Amino acid sequence: MTELHNIACSATAEVPSLAAESRAAAYWTVVGRAFRRSWINRLASGWILLIILIAIIVPFLANGSPYTVVIDGQREFPLFRNLTRADWIILVCGSAAAIYAIAHWRIGKRPGTNEEVRATRVKWLLSLLLCAALISAGIWELKHDYLDVRDYHALAKQGKLQDAVFAPLRWGFADQEPLDVDHTFDFPTHDHVLGTDGNGRDALARLLWGARIVLGIGLISEVIALVIGVMYGAIMGYFVGTADILGMRFVEIVEAIPTLFLLITFVAIYGRNIYMLMVIIGLTSWTGIARFVRAEFLRIRALDYVTAARAAGLPLSSILFRHMLPNGLTPVIVTFTFGVAAAVTSESILSFLGIGVEPPTPSWGSMLNEAGNPAETFRWWLAIAPGFLIFLTVFAYNIIGEGLRDAIDPRLNKVQ
Amino acid sequence: MTTYILKRLLLMIPTLLGMTLVLFAIVRFAPGLTTGGGAFGAGGEMKNQQARLAAEKQMKKRLHLVDAEGHPISLPMQYVYWLRDTFSGDFGESIQYNAPVVQLVKERLPATIALNAMSSIIIYLIAIPGGMLASVKRGKAFDVLWGFFTLGLYSLPVIWVGDMMVGFLANPRFLPWFPSDALHSTNTEYLTFFQYMKDFLWHTVLPVMCLSYGGLAFLTKLKRAAMLDNLGLDYVRTARAKGLGEVTVVTRHVFRNSLLPMITIFAGFIPGLLGGSLVIERIFSIKGMGDLMVTATLARDLPIVQAVAFVGSVISLICLLLADICYVLADPRVSYD
Repeated sequence: MTELHNIACSATAEVPSLAAESRAAAYWTVVGRAFRRSWINRLASGWILLIILIAIIVPFLANGSPYTVVIDGQREFPLFRNLTRADWIILVCGSAAAIYAIAHWRIGKRPGTNEEVRATRVKWLLSLLLCAALISAGIWELKHDYLDVRDYHALAKQGKLQDAVFAPLRWGFADQEPLDVDHTFDFPTHDHVLGTDGNGRDALARLLWGARIVLGIGLISEVIALVIGVMYGAIMGYFVGTADILGMRFVEIVEAIPTLFLLITFVAIYGRNIYMLMVIIGLTSWTGIARFVRAEFLRIRALDYVTAARAAGLPLSSILFRHMLPNGLTPVIVTFTFGVAAAVTSESILSFLGIGVEPPTPSWGSMLNEAGNPAETFRWWLAIAPGFLIFLTVFAYNIIGEGLRDAIDPRLNKVQ
Repeated sequence: MTTYILKRLLLMIPTLLGMTLVLFAIVRFAPGLTTGGGAFGAGGEMKNQQARLAAEKQMKKRLHLVDAEGHPISLPMQYVYWLRDTFSGDFGESIQYNAPVVQLVKERLPATIALNAMSSIIIYLIAIPGGMLASVKRGKAFDVLWGFFTLGLYSLPVIWVGDMMVGFLANPRFLPWFPSDALHSTNTEYLTFFQYMKDFLWHTVLPVMCLSYGGLAFLTKLKRAAMLDNLGLDYVRTARAKGLGEVTVVTRHVFRNSLLPMITIFAGFIPGLLGGSLVIERIFSIKGMGDLMVTATLARDLPIVQAVAFVGSVISLICLLLADICYVLADPRVSYD
C-alpha cells in the first residue's frame, strides 16, 4: 500500500512538472523565445523599454531644480519638493511594475507545479497592485503641488547656491531662459544641446519629457479601444445572426468615415485636453480589434468546451469573458500593438496641426510644429529630432507587432 | 450588371444613413450645447467670444433645436431636418468666410481629389511589381529587406517627411528645386495647356511622394500574400508542366489572378489616404479640403468641420462602390445578381 502510494506520489510529482512545461505558461515561453530570436525584435523592444524608463525617471534627468542645495545656510531638496502628484504616482507605479517584472521572472525559475507558480505570481501581482494603489492614494491625499518661484539658474549665476547638485540636464520642460536675453530659436550650443524653442525652452528637455505623452497616449487610448473592441466583437461573434449583421454594419459605417476626419470633428467639438485626446483616439480606433475578436469568437463558439460551459449552465458573462476570451485574445495582441503605433501617429499629427495637446505640454508632434513653417523659417535643428523619435517609436511598435504575429502563428504571416 | 450596381447602391443607403447619424450625434450631444455654457469652447484656444457665440448660434440653427416660433422640436425630427438640409446641399454658413459652406467645399474638393487619385495610381504602380518580386524571391534577401523597408516607410511620420521635404528641397536657403506653395503657379492664365500641365506636375511631385509612400507597405504585403496563395495552386503547376517559362507563369497567370484582392483593398485604404492628404495639404499650403478643415477647427468654424467630415465619408463610400464594380468587372466568377 505504501509502495503504491509512493508510486502515485511520484507520478503526480512527475506529471504536473511536465504539464508546467507544456501548458498555458509554456505557450508564452515558446512565443517569447520565437520573438526574441530575431535581433531586430530585441532592438525594437529595447527602444520601447528605454522610452518607458525615460518616461518614469525623467524628472530626475531633466529638471531645473537641483537635487540638493545649500541656500542661505540651509540645506534644501528642491527637486523632490517640486515633484508633482503625477510624478510621484508614475514613479510608484513604475517601481511596482519593475518589481513585478523581476518577481515574475524569478518565480518562473522556481521549481513547482504550474498552478503553484501561477498562484505565486498572482499573489505577487495583487499585493504589488494593492501597495501601489495605497501609496498612490496616500500621495494624492498628502502631496500638494508646490509652486516654486525661485529661479535656480539666476541664483546659480549670482553665486547664491552652495553645494548644488543638479540633474544631468539643468532644464525642465517649461523652464525658460530669462526674458532679458533673447534665447528664442537658439542654434544648438553648449548650454542647450539641441537648441531652444520659440519660448526659450530647452529642446532636449522637452524631448525627454515628451516620452510620457507618447507612451501615455499610445497605451491608454489603445486600452480604451481594446475594451470597446473586445466587448463589441465578443458579442457580435457569440450571438451570430441579427446582432452580428447589425454590428458589422455599424463597424463598416465607422470605418467608412476617415479616421482623421472623425478625430478632428471630435476635437473641434469636445475640446482637446490630453485625457480627452486619449478617449477620442480610443473611440475612433476600436473597429479593427472588434473585427478580429469577432472572427476569433465565431471560430471558438463552435468548440466543445464552449458547448460544455453552456451545458453546465454558466452565466453568459462567464462563458464570454472567462472561457472564450483568454483563447480568443492572443491574436488581438498583434492588432493592439499596431494600434498603439497608429495612436502615436494620430496624436503626433493632431499636435502638429495645432489641435492636439495644449501648448506647455511637451509632445513630439507639437515640437515639430513649433520648429516653424518649413517654407519660410526652417529651423531644421528643432525639426529633425522630434520627427526622428516619432519615427523610431512608431517603427518599433510596428516591428514588435510583426514579430509577435510571426511568433504567435507563422501561418498568419500575411495581411489580415 | 446594372441590377448589380443598383443593388449595391441600395445597400449603400443604410450605411450612408448610419454615417450621417454618427456625424449628427457627435455634434448634437456636444457638452453644453443645449445649456449654452461652455459649448464648443472647451479647448480654450477660442479667445474670441463673439466667434464662439456665432458658432453656437450657427450650429443651433443647423441642428433645428427649435422651430420658427421657438417651440422645441423632438430629437428624431431634428435629425430628419438636419438630413434634409445636408442632402439638399445646405451645410450652413461659414463663420470665418461669411459664405455658404457648400461653396467653400466645392472650391476645395478638386485639389484633394487630384492629390489622392495621383497617389493611388503611384502606390499601385510601385506596390504591384514590388509585391510580385518579393513573392518570387520569397525568403531571400530581397523579400526580407523589401518587407523591412516598406514597414519603415509605413512608420515614417508624414508630418516629418513633409516638413523635411519642404525645408530642404523647396527652400531657397537649401535646395530650391521644387515649389512649395499650392498646386500651380500664380500666373497660370498665360500658360498653354502643356505648360500648365508641366507646372502642375512640378508642383505635385513632393506632395504626391509624401502621400504615397505610407500606403506602399500595406499594398505590397497584400500583393505578396496573394501571389504566394496563387503560386501554390494547381493551375500554376499546369502552366509550368506545359513548359511555360517562369516569367510567363508569373507575369501572365499568377499576376492576373492575384490582382483581385488589390481591387477590394482600394476601398480600404482610401480613408487613410484622405486623412494623409489632410496633413499634406497643410504642409504644402495646398488649398484643399484638409486645409479647410484644419483652419476651421482652429477657428471653431463648426459648420465647415461637419461638412468636410461628411464629404470625406461620402468619398470613401463612393470608392467602396467603385471597388465593388471593378471587382465584378475583373472577376467573371462573381455573379451579377
